[in-house]
Amino acid sequence: MGRVTLQTLRAKKFRLLLTSLAVVLGVAFVSGTFVLTDTLGNVFDSLFVTATRGVDAVVRAREPFSASGPGTADTTRPPTPGSLVGLARSTPGVVAAQGNLLRYALVEGRGGKSIQNQAPAFGAAWYPPRGRVNEALDLVPSWRGARSTQPAGPNDVALDVKSAENGGYRIGDQVHVSFASAPPRTFRLTGVFRFGGSDEGLAGATLAAFTPATAEQELANPGQPPSWDEVDVRAAPGVSEIQVRDRLAAALHQAGVQTRYESITGAQLATEQSGNVKSNLSFFNTFLLIFALVALFVGAFIIYNTFSITVAQRTQELGLLRALGASGRQVMASVAAEAFVVGAFSSILGLALGILLVTPLRGLLSAFGISLPTGPVQIEARTIIVALLVGTGVTLVSSLAPARRASRVSPVAAIRDQALPASSGRRRYWWGAAFCAVGILALFDGLFGNATASQAAVTIGAAAGLVFIGVAMVSPLVARPVVSLLSAPARQFHRVTGTLAEQNAIRNPRRTASTAAALMIGLALVSLIAIFGASTKASFASAIDNQTRADFILSPQKFLPFSPGAAQAVRDGFAAASKQPATVVETRNGEIEVTGVPHAVLGLSSDFQQVADVPVRDFDRAAFARGGVLIWEGVAGTHECGLDQRAVCEPGSTLLVRFPQAGTVPLRVAGVVTNRNALPVSTNYTVSLAGWEQRFPQTLDAFVVIRKPSDVSTAQATRIVDRAAQRFGGIKAENKAQFKASELAQFNQTLGLMYVLLLFAVIIALIGIVNTLALSIHERTREIGLLRAVGMTRVQLRRMIRDEAVIVAVFGSLLGLVIGIGFGGAIVQSLHDQGIALTVPVGQLVVFLILAGLAGLLAGWIPARRAGRLDVLHAIDAE
Amino acid sequence: MTTTDPSTRTGVAARAVDASKVYGTGEAVVRALNGITVTFDRRRYTAIMGPSGSGKSTLLHCLAGLDRVSSGRIFLGDVEISAASEKQLTLIRRDSIGFVFQSYNLIPTLTALENITLPMALAGRKPDPAWLDQVIDIVGLRDRLTHRPAELSGGQQQRVAVGRALASRPDVIFADEPTGNLDSRAGSEILTFMRQAVDDLGQTIVMVTHDPNAAGYADRVVFLTDGAIVDELAAPTADTVLDRMKRLGG
Ligand SMILES: Nc1ncnc2c1ncn2[C@@H]1O[C@H](COP(=O)(O)OP(=O)(O)OP(=O)(O)O)[C@@H](O)[C@H]1O
Ligand SMILES: [Mg+2]
Repeated sequence: MGRVTLQTLRAKKFRLLLTSLAVVLGVAFVSGTFVLTDTLGNVFDSLFVTATRGVDAVVRAREPFSASGPGTADTTRPPTPGSLVGLARSTPGVVAAQGNLLRYALVEGRGGKSIQNQAPAFGAAWYPPRGRVNEALDLVPSWRGARSTQPAGPNDVALDVKSAENGGYRIGDQVHVSFASAPPRTFRLTGVFRFGGSDEGLAGATLAAFTPATAEQELANPGQPPSWDEVDVRAAPGVSEIQVRDRLAAALHQAGVQTRYESITGAQLATEQSGNVKSNLSFFNTFLLIFALVALFVGAFIIYNTFSITVAQRTQELGLLRALGASGRQVMASVAAEAFVVGAFSSILGLALGILLVTPLRGLLSAFGISLPTGPVQIEARTIIVALLVGTGVTLVSSLAPARRASRVSPVAAIRDQALPASSGRRRYWWGAAFCAVGILALFDGLFGNATASQAAVTIGAAAGLVFIGVAMVSPLVARPVVSLLSAPARQFHRVTGTLAEQNAIRNPRRTASTAAALMIGLALVSLIAIFGASTKASFASAIDNQTRADFILSPQKFLPFSPGAAQAVRDGFAAASKQPATVVETRNGEIEVTGVPHAVLGLSSDFQQVADVPVRDFDRAAFARGGVLIWEGVAGTHECGLDQRAVCEPGSTLLVRFPQAGTVPLRVAGVVTNRNALPVSTNYTVSLAGWEQRFPQTLDAFVVIRKPSDVSTAQATRIVDRAAQRFGGIKAENKAQFKASELAQFNQTLGLMYVLLLFAVIIALIGIVNTLALSIHERTREIGLLRAVGMTRVQLRRMIRDEAVIVAVFGSLLGLVIGIGFGGAIVQSLHDQGIALTVPVGQLVVFLILAGLAGLLAGWIPARRAGRLDVLHAIDAE
Repeated sequence: MTTTDPSTRTGVAARAVDASKVYGTGEAVVRALNGITVTFDRRRYTAIMGPSGSGKSTLLHCLAGLDRVSSGRIFLGDVEISAASEKQLTLIRRDSIGFVFQSYNLIPTLTALENITLPMALAGRKPDPAWLDQVIDIVGLRDRLTHRPAELSGGQQQRVAVGRALASRPDVIFADEPTGNLDSRAGSEILTFMRQAVDDLGQTIVMVTHDPNAAGYADRVVFLTDGAIVDELAAPTADTVLDRMKRLGG
């Protein structure tokens, strides 16, 4: 039997290659994703190992509580006071201890150009070489023909090589730097350094180094005495990292501050920080893997279809094998063995392609505004195992049903010239209907049930999978009428070739349906995204139009929050220009804990209602401005109000809020937000900015919303706002219309990325059409010969095949569109209470349908050419 | 449409002049046709006979524009089809030639009527309704027109094929063992229709056959051996054909 399998494989190289391609692309996507994230992980591992070079242990504040959401690691950690440097120094086994910090410091390029990308902009202290603990920075002795030195005075700065290059600087140039609270100012560039010996070491971040004194002063948190992020400690020779850590812990204990401060080893710190970054990356990994999974799922359909067709075509041969004494199980095993070989072969190819795919994938992401650092490509054993398992597994599982069908071929089939009887058609339709029903139930459970977001996402994904399989099983029932309808233009314009194409498309409705199903999946997801995107955009636009009364909005150029100095500069600018006050509302994000549960919290200037329609019941503005809290309707009246577990939260009552820095503080409930979606960020708790600096380590603004005084002209106001934004750098100053446009553009970019990632699945589906057509044409060789003999021209023959491809493609797309509209509509509906209303982008969906038809035309091209080249006489004589 | 109805014209319908067909090269060379010169008159029913491998099918294919001769010339009426391009050949097959194969003559997705009118549909022409009526009557398929090939018996399928060959009123109909797969009753029906087509409709038919009875329906029999014409018989009957075959074979 083994030899039979191999011979079948060898005989059909073209078919094998096409079939493999469906798996190869899916596996490539999966392994490419893993390699990319592993590579990034490795970059960050070495980044943080470098960042702690020379550090044996650190002393730092404990996080009072860990924050709620992803990407919030370390956001609640308070600073470490300078007094702990002394404590560390006097601990036995410590040679040196130095305060260290890494804080916001934005460096501008020459002439004010931005050199920042999505990675953060940092400033740090750089100690003189003698007795230095942290050795992360390597001085480059000479740079562009000048001697480079470490910063020595209060006006000196050094930059990492990459930033200095990007900024176009030479030694001695003036460099403009903005800080979180200290006013921006210029420094003299005294030197450049490498981070960990490599230009790429910083993973895209920019780093400016100052003398410790300057750093302490300029990078300090606003309104706070200078303090460090941590104290770096060097152990005496012969004292291990662990020993020095434990001695520091004992010292902290002795000083009675062990509840607020902790000591860990340098290696621990590196692992922890790298882990934090990597856990942010894992979201990104999941995002890509979802699209890879879709591609594999589509590939599974192609495999199923190909094996179904080839088993049907080999009925006679299989019957002969049975007649010669092969058991049903042996026949099944031979088909499964073929699938195994195809799967293993494709997995290996896919893995190789995936590794090659890393660079284009990175390029694609950066084209969509996600720039990622580069590093040596990491191929881990896990990637190889997953790729091989997934590729082989998917192929084997999808070939299971055809293999079972093959095992049921009776020996009589060898002598009877007929295809397999369409097995258990009725039962198949019932199963399909059941799948659809369960899928739809699961969808509603996922959308409207009370699962967590990630559980709901998994449920909805599974629901989609079930519906796709179900529809693919049921759709042969509608194939005939729908294909007839869709063929009308072909019949009209291509006459008899159109009719023949139509007939070919419906002569085997199951084959047509499962070929179409692959494209259906792609189109369903594309239209789902289109509907979701259109609805979200329309709702966002109308919210900006109707609920915001801003003249200008300051927002970060690259997602990173910016110095509150910009808002102050705007206030000062308007104060100089007008007697009337301007409204300048800052928004910040922070983390708090209420009754032991972490929550995201929004910080707003107290006059926020001047610029946004946020409905607040029983609003005590004065209390809010003094440091009160607004709670959302949804938590008002619940037990979530601190102090007493049974106390009801209502205006005027007291809420116990734990802040990262100020401990637990009773706050007066100054009002109830009735619609939290009207807030810039939908949160349960909103605090004013009063005392923010004492309460939160993070003091940067996410947005600043501005209304100019009425007696200042728009032109003058624009100048004031622009100047403030420019002074601080990394900030976009826009009016309402511009802001709306640029936010929508950003949103479109994300949608665009998803479309491109779905393109993979669509391409695989098109390969499926090519494959099915090629197999069908092979099966109809004699018929094609006959058509040519009685006078069908090559042009007509090719047209017939292309028409069939288009009909199948449009059929699949139409099914997909229906599913996509259903799912999209349901998902949008479930977001109704977040202020998102359903918008169906009809024009866009029609364009997708037309594009799918054109793609079908393209898919038909290759088989059509091959058919056109068939020799008439050979074709007629073919068996 | 041509102004003169081919069925009313007389003269030569098709001819081969010194036609050779060589397969393979060197040692393995096969001369399927070896310098054949033969003429087929209009409104005549010609049978081609000969032992297996003598080149009958090859001759028919070359005459019908399905294959090309290695040397020599083939004419259809006055047109030299051995010089025609692939595209021209297709159009000639569609418009001027009818073809009946031994089996697998029909497109399974089309009905009997659609199969009959297929060449005209491919040409984008409407069939002449009166002529089509006559053809359908001759092949006797009026009550089977909407059936698909799978729903027809082998004999009925061959009748549809003959109907298709006749329907476009071709210059010549070529048939390669059209009764080879049929029992004698169904076979003689087909042969009768073809005879009628020549007598009543003025068609020209060239038919390859192994069966002396079938050859008995023809006006003339041409005998082929090793790719060359070895004998001819006018106004044959089954007996005279059998007689001549014995003599050639012996
Ligand atoms: N494609 C080909 N390649 C090589 N040789 C061929 C090819 N087609 C036919 N021949 C050879 O040409 C010769 C004539 O074949 P042809 O099919 O014309 O015979 P035939 O008289 O129709 O025989 P039969 O009565 O068996 O149908 C044979 O020897 C055959 O083997
Ligand atoms: Mg023959």
